[in-house]
Amino acid sequence: MILLLAILAGLLVGLVRARLRGRSYGVPPLRFLWLALIAFLPQFFAFYLPVTRDSMPDAWAAASLIISQVLLLAFAWLNRKLAGMPLLACGLALNLVVITANGGFMPISPETAAHLAPAFAALQPGSRFGTKDILLPPENTRLAWLADRFLLPDWSPYNVAFSLGDMLIAVGVFWLLATQETPLNLPKP
Amino acid sequence: MKNKLAQLFLMTQKINRQHIQLTFAILTLMLLVLGAGAPESGGDASR
Repeated sequence: MILLLAILAGLLVGLVRARLRGRSYGVPPLRFLWLALIAFLPQFFAFYLPVTRDSMPDAWAAASLIISQVLLLAFAWLNRKLAGMPLLACGLALNLVVITANGGFMPISPETAAHLAPAFAALQPGSRFGTKDILLPPENTRLAWLADRFLLPDWSPYNVAFSLGDMLIAVGVFWLLATQETPLNLPKP
Repeated sequence: MKNKLAQLFLMTQKINRQHIQLTFAILTLMLLVLGAGAPESGGDASR
């Protein structure tokens, strides 16, 4: 949800920016759109479609996440010349590295999980948590600094834990959408 | 009724190729960030 807000914010800023500069908003010239769709499918079946999600073994779900993120990284690489895309690709790569290093799921510490909901602190280490996360104490987490360890301020109405990679992804997609505009049509001499 | 139909027709005429391309681009970016990111909002600790 927090990443979808980055898309919405980037789009709004881009539209306002283009309007203020007297230009029309340009469509981000993304290539290989089909690759993003194919790349997302393993995650769709592993985490979002209830029928397959509930029956899929954890090992398969972990493999699906890694395969999906590798393909998404390829999509980001193929579009690396677009503004913001290198940052987004870096964020994706950081998430992929920490997920792969921790058995195929994004680690989250019991302390961070307890901030989301106190009841979650009682879960056994190694339990699947939410969508893509796994509950792991920091001492058993590889590359803990890349895990879901950041929280929004207490005054925020939305309670979410996110990683450094997530932050880069949010900034990258915001940047991509906020800077799209058509070139100014100069009168021909 | 006729007036409303005419308004609807005018509105659909305004949906041009660029709007469709933008919609596809946004949908693709949504898939990209949903797949690339792993923020956790608590949700269900189901498994």
